[in-house]
Amino acid sequence: MISRRRGVLGFLILLIAVLALAAVGCGGDDDDGDGGGGGAVEALPSAACGPIRQGDDDPDALIASDLPLQGANRALTTEMADAIEYILDSHEWKAGDTVLGYQSCDDSTAQAGSWDSAKCSSNARAYANNAAVIGVIGTFNSGCAKLVIPIANRESLAMVSPANTYPGLTEGGPGTESGEPDVYYPGGTRNYARVVWNDQFQGAANAQYAQELGVKRVFILNDSETYGLGIATLFAEYAEKLGIEVLANQKWDKKASSYESLASRIRSSGADAVFLGGIVCNNGGKLIKDIKAGAPDVQLIGPDGWTPISATIEGAGAAANDMYITQPGIPVDQLTGAGKEFVDGFTEQFGKAPNPYTAYAAQAAEVLIAAIEKGGTDRTAVSSALFETDIQDGIVGSFQIDENGDTTLGAVSVYQVKNGEETYVKTVSPELEFVEGG
Amino acid sequence: MNVPGLPAERRAEFDAELRRRLFRGGIAAVAWIVLVIIFSGFTTSLIVSTAIILALYAVPWDWLRHGKWVVPAVAIVLAILYPYYRDELYEVPIFGPFPSVDTAVTMTIYIMMAIGLNIVVGYAGLLDLGYVAFYAMGAYTAAWFASPHFAESVGGVHVGSVGVSPEAEGFHVSIWVVLIVAAIFTSVVGVLIGLPTLRLRGDYLAIVTLGFGEIMPQIARNGDNLFGTGFNLTNGAQGINPIDPPGFGATISGWTGLPEDYLSFNASFLGRELGGIEVFYWTALALLLFTVFCSVRLRDSRLGRAWIAIREDETAAAAMGVPLMRTKTWAYAAGAFFGGIAGAYYASFKSGTFPDDFFFNISVFILCMVILGGMGNVWGVIVGGGFLAYLNQEGLGNIGAEINETFGTNIDVPLYQYGIFGAILVLVMLFKPEGLIPSARRKAEFEEGAVAEETLYDVRGAPE
Amino acid sequence: MATQARRLPFPTLAGRLPDYIVPAIGILLVVLLVVWLGVNLIKTPSDFYRLFLIGLTNGAIYGLVALGYSLVYGILELINFAHGDVFMLGGMLVATMVSSFGLAGESGLYLWMMILLMLAIVMAFCAVINTTIELVAYRRLRHAPRLAPLITAIGMSFILQNIGLVWKGARPTSVDSILPKGEVFTIGGVTYTWDKFIVLLFTVPVLFLLILLVQRTRQGKAMRATAQDRDAAAMMGINVNRTISFTFFLAGALAGSAALLYALYITNIRYDEGFRLGLIAFTAAVVGGIGNLPGAVLGGLVIAMIESFNNGLSWATPGSDWTQSIIFALLIVILVFRPEGLLGERTPEGG
Repeated sequence: MISRRRGVLGFLILLIAVLALAAVGCGGDDDDGDGGGGGAVEALPSAACGPIRQGDDDPDALIASDLPLQGANRALTTEMADAIEYILDSHEWKAGDTVLGYQSCDDSTAQAGSWDSAKCSSNARAYANNAAVIGVIGTFNSGCAKLVIPIANRESLAMVSPANTYPGLTEGGPGTESGEPDVYYPGGTRNYARVVWNDQFQGAANAQYAQELGVKRVFILNDSETYGLGIATLFAEYAEKLGIEVLANQKWDKKASSYESLASRIRSSGADAVFLGGIVCNNGGKLIKDIKAGAPDVQLIGPDGWTPISATIEGAGAAANDMYITQPGIPVDQLTGAGKEFVDGFTEQFGKAPNPYTAYAAQAAEVLIAAIEKGGTDRTAVSSALFETDIQDGIVGSFQIDENGDTTLGAVSVYQVKNGEETYVKTVSPELEFVEGG
Repeated sequence: MNVPGLPAERRAEFDAELRRRLFRGGIAAVAWIVLVIIFSGFTTSLIVSTAIILALYAVPWDWLRHGKWVVPAVAIVLAILYPYYRDELYEVPIFGPFPSVDTAVTMTIYIMMAIGLNIVVGYAGLLDLGYVAFYAMGAYTAAWFASPHFAESVGGVHVGSVGVSPEAEGFHVSIWVVLIVAAIFTSVVGVLIGLPTLRLRGDYLAIVTLGFGEIMPQIARNGDNLFGTGFNLTNGAQGINPIDPPGFGATISGWTGLPEDYLSFNASFLGRELGGIEVFYWTALALLLFTVFCSVRLRDSRLGRAWIAIREDETAAAAMGVPLMRTKTWAYAAGAFFGGIAGAYYASFKSGTFPDDFFFNISVFILCMVILGGMGNVWGVIVGGGFLAYLNQEGLGNIGAEINETFGTNIDVPLYQYGIFGAILVLVMLFKPEGLIPSARRKAEFEEGAVAEETLYDVRGAPE
Repeated sequence: MATQARRLPFPTLAGRLPDYIVPAIGILLVVLLVVWLGVNLIKTPSDFYRLFLIGLTNGAIYGLVALGYSLVYGILELINFAHGDVFMLGGMLVATMVSSFGLAGESGLYLWMMILLMLAIVMAFCAVINTTIELVAYRRLRHAPRLAPLITAIGMSFILQNIGLVWKGARPTSVDSILPKGEVFTIGGVTYTWDKFIVLLFTVPVLFLLILLVQRTRQGKAMRATAQDRDAAAMMGINVNRTISFTFFLAGALAGSAALLYALYITNIRYDEGFRLGLIAFTAAVVGGIGNLPGAVLGGLVIAMIESFNNGLSWATPGSDWTQSIIFALLIVILVFRPEGLLGERTPEGG
């Protein structure tokens, strides 16, 4: 009896020991397998990123896009991801000798309906730690970029943003905080470029256009986020320079159920225009409705946070009529050359015309592919190649990326909502002197 | 051969228990192995891990001399080695791969917060719906003392800073110091909030804490121009970033080989390339162990027994001479202490802090962890916290991907996140109110039912 | 036993201070408030009137929601966290109905008939949800420690929010504006419009009917008896379960009617709005004296006035950034210093 009992315990210990040894041995084998195999790259975690999209060959390297795929901008951002895939496909998933794969990652949560700081930083670490990732297209929101850039920068991981317009990410000056942009580049060398004009230009263009409209007294509202507060501050600065009286630069609370009393304040301030520095997803529809109801005579002006304009129209209904909305770049139906080809090809494949930002996503993909052609799979080489970018007749036009990572191509288009439809009004290009003179 | 620490006369009993558990555990293990093999195929790791768990379960370790340390010790060792074997682990059916090390850091931090809240809710029985305020406080402390935020007002103040250039402006204090400062600061705030409110009971206390939990993010959101003075305390909705990473600095690093700066850390140790994420994980684990240790010691202390007495019957406790206010305030302070550490460490890990991170949902999320695991039981809270944080971070996404792949559907499972947490709260409360791994005491209280109800009525003139 | 204990006053911080301190601070605050309002009235009279009318309208809606909290708290001593979310789902139903009935641009008798129809549907809808919640989540826990139903209430609130999120998405749902916006009267250059007046026209009779129901009917008597002492009420032959169900039904119907007014007047509804508004309404109920029906409406008005004046006035005003903080600070102050609320008596029967 006793010996049998001992047997049970002994057997158990033996079993554990054998299995543990087997595991150690097996672990070693697997390591070797991973290191030696030139086959598949390691995918980014499926909790945040979609499956690897690729061509016929297995990729050597990955590109990731970092966009808020849930919430109010869902339609736009999925379209942007499609555009990136479309561009990669048109390059037959190759950049020089490098075979590329693409993963579309999500930096938002369904509950927030917009970007989430925890997801941004955990995505950033995932890109940085996965050696296969050689470039990131993103982010969409400037606030998220503030978290992603420093983490990517330490690993010299190239980033190209199709939509960040907050100036402080690339340069100091008006509308930025002290220490910017160096705080985002702890590694010392730059790794981040963007293909949209920053808000210094957009703010200036908005102010110029407001002056053209004959605005004398403007009431500014902001949603207090990185982008919204930034553009509101810049608009205020340029408007004052142009002799427009800025009556207030005040926050709106995105959680409020009604803005009637705010509208009452606007009405009694005697403003003839309201500039809305913020994004439509922060309860913008209700804000417009209440301002229009409480102060029907004011002219509403909004920056590109109110795009896609269809979202503004849907949220605010008839109240959105007459509102001016600006957007960096020129309208997609006025693109020529490669741009027109892209728009036509995209429309054919997906059955709808791309949004302006979709064209920028495609352009960002092109910039990144060009950099990978030069730099191969070496992250540092790709990052530095970004700053030698010289695109001739690209999707959005011809431009270079300057040493800060900003594009040299600038234009801001003004749209107006008329009878529930967006109509193109004109393109404004503020003088460089005026923009940087502050 | 004798089993160490076991009197010979209990040997038969021991063997019987061993056989019984081995039989039960064995069946479960075989079923598990078969299930996993059917869904995700065979790997050695499946057999090894199942065998280890079986061994931990089957042997009645606590009958042996020093045996009660075996399970925690093995668990700690397994947790420490996690980055080494994580990649070899098998895929769990439905849940997909085991959590990444990145997720494990977040899980560990959330478990710390859950343990902190457990002191307030589980030990002392005070429902705190604004726990997120303490987390926020910790995060903002880290942001004030380890970021360029105060660049304009203070110039450059460096105290053992790492990962930033020596000329960088603003406060740059070593994260280790910041963790201590954050812990002390949040517990002081916990006491300040507690003093006026802790005289309220039950749901009124819950509402007041909820009120504080709602005010705190608003202060964070509007703190860029506090009360119109132009003083920028929190940088508003833009949040404060980048926050410095933890690290030991060049000097200590030179002596000991500990990482100089977590973010740029790279080394090879025991045959594995280590990056920043592993050291983040081990540090979080060390903080968690500290939290668990403190929490267990507190529970068994005089103060801890006073908390439990208050929870069970406030009137009786007061009658027996337990100072109500002081004891409750200590519970708040202790809970806030760990919330502060967790918040500060998380902020440093995320390298930023934003007012949107601190909404009511997070308070409920942490509460959910405590309730699922079992109010009052540290081990239960660890399991509950780890599981829910995993679900939140990775699990739901994986489950969704798995479901959609298997059935060809297009269900966005993370969309149902808070519904699932809500359902967990309701189901646990209805069917197993003591939680999955209850403390024996708490279980008895819930089974007493109606008797416990009496304790919530107010009694005037209870001695202090 | 239970009843007696419940009737004892709350131990408060006030108990430790000299007796005159709390009233003195209270009077001081009221004086400051009056001065602030007075100065603003003199400086910008038309703003003041306009904001007053906005506050009156929002206050009526908050009051309707607060009544539901008050009723339920009165009878079960339970904060029904899910109440605000029932309201939110009602609002979403209204949004769906307005667009599927194609009411935009309609007017006249047809519009009013349809609004009444929607009112009936949404009241029934919310009432049924609320009763179901009681049945599923609270009934089993009637003898559990008090934290248990509170936690299930939070859980139910999350579940309902998630339903709303899945139903309409994270973006606010816009409701077509169908209430007439014509002028009722004009005071000091400020026009009082029909959509605001309708909200008030609805709330006042509802309040009176409710008080009548609670005080004059058999069912109301049963409710009051159950609230005072559940066991004794059961011994007197009152069907306690049915009475509680009825209370939840009534509270749900009130939430439904508030949802209709809210959706039509505010014309926007979002999945987390119910929770936010629920907190405000609960605060209103506490401010007015929880369990006290006119108190709930009074509390709603007070809060809505604070909100509206703080958002819109210009002299020495903290501004909309701080509204939420002010409301919750008020909640905390009231709970700590005067937990029985403004209207005093802490009894559930109202009036």
